[in-house]
Amino acid sequence: MKRIFNFILFCILLFSLTISVSFAIDSNNTEKINVYFFWAHGCPHCSAEKVFLDSLEQRYDNIIIHRLEITTNYENVELLKRVGQELGADFGSVPFTVVGKQYFIGWYNEEITGKAIEEAIKCVMENHCPDIVGSLTTPITPAPQQEVGEAIPKNITLPIIGNVETKSVSLPILTILIGALDGFNPCAMWVLLFLITLLFGMKNKKKMWIFGTVFIAASAFVYFMFMAAWLHLFLFIGFVVWIRIAIGLVALWAGYYNLKEYFTNPAGVCKVTGEEKRRRVFDSLKKIIQEKHFLVGLVGLIVLAFAVNMVELICSAGLPVVYTQILAAANLPIWLYYSYLLLYIFIFMLDDLIVFFIAMYTLQLTGISSKYGRASHLIGGAIMLLVGILLILKPEWLMFG
Amino acid sequence: MKVLKFGAVWCSGCLIMKPRWQEIEKENPWLKTEYYDFDKDKEVVSKWGIDKDLPTFVFLDKTDKEFLRLHGEIAKEELLKIINENKDK
Repeated sequence: MKRIFNFILFCILLFSLTISVSFAIDSNNTEKINVYFFWAHGCPHCSAEKVFLDSLEQRYDNIIIHRLEITTNYENVELLKRVGQELGADFGSVPFTVVGKQYFIGWYNEEITGKAIEEAIKCVMENHCPDIVGSLTTPITPAPQQEVGEAIPKNITLPIIGNVETKSVSLPILTILIGALDGFNPCAMWVLLFLITLLFGMKNKKKMWIFGTVFIAASAFVYFMFMAAWLHLFLFIGFVVWIRIAIGLVALWAGYYNLKEYFTNPAGVCKVTGEEKRRRVFDSLKKIIQEKHFLVGLVGLIVLAFAVNMVELICSAGLPVVYTQILAAANLPIWLYYSYLLLYIFIFMLDDLIVFFIAMYTLQLTGISSKYGRASHLIGGAIMLLVGILLILKPEWLMFG
Repeated sequence: MKVLKFGAVWCSGCLIMKPRWQEIEKENPWLKTEYYDFDKDKEVVSKWGIDKDLPTFVFLDKTDKEFLRLHGEIAKEELLKIINENKDK
């Protein structure tokens, strides 16, 4: 009996010890840990980190996340400068996160940056590291509890279709829309038209098909490479304010240029002055088509496709640049970025493919009209103006991530 | 009535108009048309003052006097209407 009593007493003691230990840990944890998150509107990496910090806030009761927006709050910029100087850190980019004495510039993913931030929080919990930012300012200027990139509702309910996630619909639609407008851009189409006219003079039908498809494929490849380069540039530098504004201005210029073309240039009129470039391209095409050696002609055609498309990129009036900027802000996995680029290129080349196939089958250029090109100027111009205004004033509306 | 057509190999609008005119000429064998290349036929181009826009279509009456000049891409129906209205000129 005494043994049983002793055992129960031991259990009670052990239980009460456990409770007191756990109370001790809890009391440690109730000490609030400050996480200082400097971020900017329109910054995709900030958006990604914000999602992580939100989840972190739910997992830990005793952390306070100070969301310090730097594009709308000058005091936060000043604080970021002082924190950077105090820590000896480069404070030129966001997201910039400070936990105790540790700081994190940028955001890679939850596994790397997220884990490091969480480790820093645990370190502060266990070692009571000093709060560098807290010592620089009291109280901290509270950031408005504004949701990053959520100006557009996450879900919309459409009749018949039902509930639709805007993120999963808007970006593909935008991709198709801008890709199609870019494709109908007369700048991109005219070289193909000349090539088709020259191909008509060929007796070898097989050679006609090969030359045409190779030219289209090479053009698509150049365009893809160009857009991938822009995308990586934007992903590398992030959604920096001045870059965003610069791209916004490019979009505004593109909008103005397209609308001016629509209203001032009647359908199908070629200006005699300033057409030397086209003349040179046409002469080069003619030489290539007349080349007796098939492979030499083919290589020449690929080189010309590269050269012409590089030059025509300027003529595209910023559509691919603006699109890649929006895409970069969507914060997607890399394979999805490339999928969107491929979709854009496919839509962009679709009209070229259709024109080429019809011309090859019918051996004439009937049915082709520049009215689509004009419509592209009008719609493209209006969209570019809108995108330009949004990029400058409401960038979060263009963030689909 | 006669139509002078001015174009160039590098002008996409001219490429678009070429098959349209072929159809019109086929449907109206009485219609006289002449094509001049902007880069090759410098003399005629200069004579008719083609120095700004291509393609350009100059409509002449029986006395070779110009009564209409059009630029750019013109719809086939519009061209047919003009031709039929001025058939006897």
